[in-house]
Amino acid sequence: MVGPLATRALWGLATLVGAVTGMFGLMVLAPGDPIDLLPNAEAVRPVLAAEWALDQPAPVRLGRWWGRLLSGELGVSLSYRPGMPVAELVWAAAPPTALRVLGALATVLALGTALAWHTSRGERGPSRAVAQATSLVPLFLAVHAVVASLNGGAFALMEAGWIDRPGWFALPDQASLLRTTTSVLLLAVASGSLAEVHADLEVALAELRRSPFVVAARARGESTTALLLRHLLPRLCTVAAGRLAMLLGGAIVVEKLMLLPGAGAMLWNAALVRDYELVLGLSFVAAAAVVLGRFLSDAARLFLDPRWREVTG
Amino acid sequence: MTWLSAWWHLTWARGRWPQRAAALWLLLVLGAALLAPLGGYAVGADVDLTAASQGPSLAHWLGTDHLGRDVAWRLALACQAFVGPGLVAAVVAGVLGVLPAAVAGLVGGGVALGLRYLTAVVATLPRFVLVLLLLMIYGDSAPLLGAAIGLAYAPELSEAVYGRVEELRRADFLETSLAHGVSWWRLLFLHVLVGAAGGLVARHLLRAFAFTVVLESTLSYLGGFGVQEPWPSWGNMLVFEWGRGLGVAQIAPAAMLLFTVGACASVAGWAGGERHVR
Amino acid sequence: MSADDRLVLEGLQVQAGSRHLVRGVGLTVRGGEVVGLVGPSGSGKTLTARALLGLVDFAPGVVAADLTLTCEGRDHRPYDPLPTRRTEREHAFREVRGALLGYLPQDAPGSLDPAQRVGRPIEAVAARAGQPGDARVWLERAGFSADEAPVVLQRFPHQLSGGMAQRVAIALALARGSRFLVADEPTTGLDAAVQRQLVHTFRRLADEGLGVLIVTHDLRWLAQVAHHVHILDQGTIAETLSASALRPEHATTEVGRRLLGAVGRMRSRGFP
Repeated sequence: MVGPLATRALWGLATLVGAVTGMFGLMVLAPGDPIDLLPNAEAVRPVLAAEWALDQPAPVRLGRWWGRLLSGELGVSLSYRPGMPVAELVWAAAPPTALRVLGALATVLALGTALAWHTSRGERGPSRAVAQATSLVPLFLAVHAVVASLNGGAFALMEAGWIDRPGWFALPDQASLLRTTTSVLLLAVASGSLAEVHADLEVALAELRRSPFVVAARARGESTTALLLRHLLPRLCTVAAGRLAMLLGGAIVVEKLMLLPGAGAMLWNAALVRDYELVLGLSFVAAAAVVLGRFLSDAARLFLDPRWREVTG
Repeated sequence: MTWLSAWWHLTWARGRWPQRAAALWLLLVLGAALLAPLGGYAVGADVDLTAASQGPSLAHWLGTDHLGRDVAWRLALACQAFVGPGLVAAVVAGVLGVLPAAVAGLVGGGVALGLRYLTAVVATLPRFVLVLLLLMIYGDSAPLLGAAIGLAYAPELSEAVYGRVEELRRADFLETSLAHGVSWWRLLFLHVLVGAAGGLVARHLLRAFAFTVVLESTLSYLGGFGVQEPWPSWGNMLVFEWGRGLGVAQIAPAAMLLFTVGACASVAGWAGGERHVR
Repeated sequence: MSADDRLVLEGLQVQAGSRHLVRGVGLTVRGGEVVGLVGPSGSGKTLTARALLGLVDFAPGVVAADLTLTCEGRDHRPYDPLPTRRTEREHAFREVRGALLGYLPQDAPGSLDPAQRVGRPIEAVAARAGQPGDARVWLERAGFSADEAPVVLQRFPHQLSGGMAQRVAIALALARGSRFLVADEPTTGLDAAVQRQLVHTFRRLADEGLGVLIVTHDLRWLAQVAHHVHILDQGTIAETLSASALRPEHATTEVGRRLLGAVGRMRSRGFP
């Protein structure tokens, strides 16, 4: 079991190296002077010219970049929070985003499975069409609609004297269960997320239902629920790994629009002010998360496959 | 049978009315992108506070927003925001995703491994993050947006095409064709790309286009990237009316977005249900 | 299980659209008896077996109806394995499924849960059916020797040969407590030695009181194990022959003569 696992790990590492090199390469290949685009260009120019070694050829700069990265240094923020180490900013912002994304992942898998369970039986019904239609709504539009209606509804109730100002009403810096749950739900469902997961799982479940060992179990009068779920697990792992990247992208929109603190909003704000170091640092963390997700999914599938369990006894 | 009549029989004649309506909608959007700028609408000089937030009327077919600007005209003009980048994205995704994948699928071996590696590398970054990164580094412009989305979409297309070509290779279809004297290029283009993978490619290109629509609207909604005021985009039209009540000025861009995304999905499903080469 | 248990199937109709795939098939299987169902491809024999088990997928256009399944003997209860509403079907048939009819599918290895060692489902099934839970007992009754059984129950399905998987499927049906077995092409993919072993296994199970319905195209093999054979042609039973009469000259129909003639000399079971 170690052999294939090690191969997967190496492959994951290789892709991460490729992605990070690619990102840095994009920067190096950019025409013109990147420092000019910064809002506080003149202030940081001396520091950056030395730091980035702009006069050196590309391979040297890449080498220096990798050297810095491997020693755990992610650089210093330039224009977002000038002077603050990127690593510190990222570590502070990553946890809420991670929780949000993982929550959305669990939600979309659960909803997708429940829906697919129903539609894979082959009965015609409106549930699939409804799910696909709601899922097609772009994320920002869904957030807009939901937040507008929540606020509109709350305002109307306040005007009519039914309620006092609720805690979550349009306040960006107050923790709020409602905002968190809504953000997780919207992230899970919108922009085709639920539709794609459902389609994938529906195909898998329909195939499973037809497979000989499930039919044989039914012929014995056994309930097939546990059997189907157990055999759906590997597929769930694959779907989860595939979904992770999309959810990370969606987290940016959700955090920015719902005024939630996190790495997503930070990425957007940093990109606006051309804070290269911070954006690269956050992108690196995102890429690492995707690679880790893929590896964990592969490992889980290997573990679930009985052909490997026989080796470990 | 000429190419045109073949195309007709494969697509239009086989569709049903929802898919045909969807295809027509997309053509309408394309037309708006091309023709609306020629209509002489003065973007930036169209503020008319005396006509603020009106409903539909003869003068303003879909009413006005809270600065008195005509909603219908701006909706039409907004089509350019994503049609250009969308087509660029489709072309870029097609070039980067289809050809290398088809060749790798045919040849196999080290080339295939290399392709899978590159695909995995590009797919490591979330698409939105990749696009943001490119916009930040190379500046915010419509062609770049298209290229960035095309690059971000290429891995998905590449995997799909590679998978289909590999299927064919393993089914000995390709070898028997080559053995029968079909030339390499003819095999590649006619049989593989158009015949077997044609529907698949069309479906993914449409999805790339839909993704452009959504991404561009998201960027202009969030503000800072994408189309900026006073130029209209469905995204920035929507955010502009935030908190101003549920009027046509808010519903219209939202509806346009939903129709267009839905139309892309519908036509993509239609295109994807293509016959397989046997 | 007693010798006066009888499974009576009457009047099965299966149609897809306007095509009648099975028309009014009826047969009886007694406890301790092995009944064969043979016929050319497309005669509807597999469909009959699956309808009996309630496993016909009710796809749009395929309708199975008018089936009466009665188990006579100690409990004269008629069963309807094909009620029209799906929920009724599932619920009502649970009493029949497994408890009455055991299914030995054509794809024996595929019919076992690939993710579990073979012994576990046997124990689970036996426990649920209120039978002794030691998997070895059931494996031995299914034809494994006392040495083989402990090894086999630790294996995964992909590690079993076709013949071993077949016997595991039998063990599962026995552990479930099925009084009748319906076997679909049991000799598929088995070599001659294993086929002979299967003959002995089925004979032994019949002697223990089980009723067995075997659907197959392998008439030569069937002759060694069946008491009598129904010949199915185009959805109806063309004729029925007892095992001792399986010669072309005894056949009264064209299809019977064709099938029997094609097999040549067969060793018959030799029952009276």
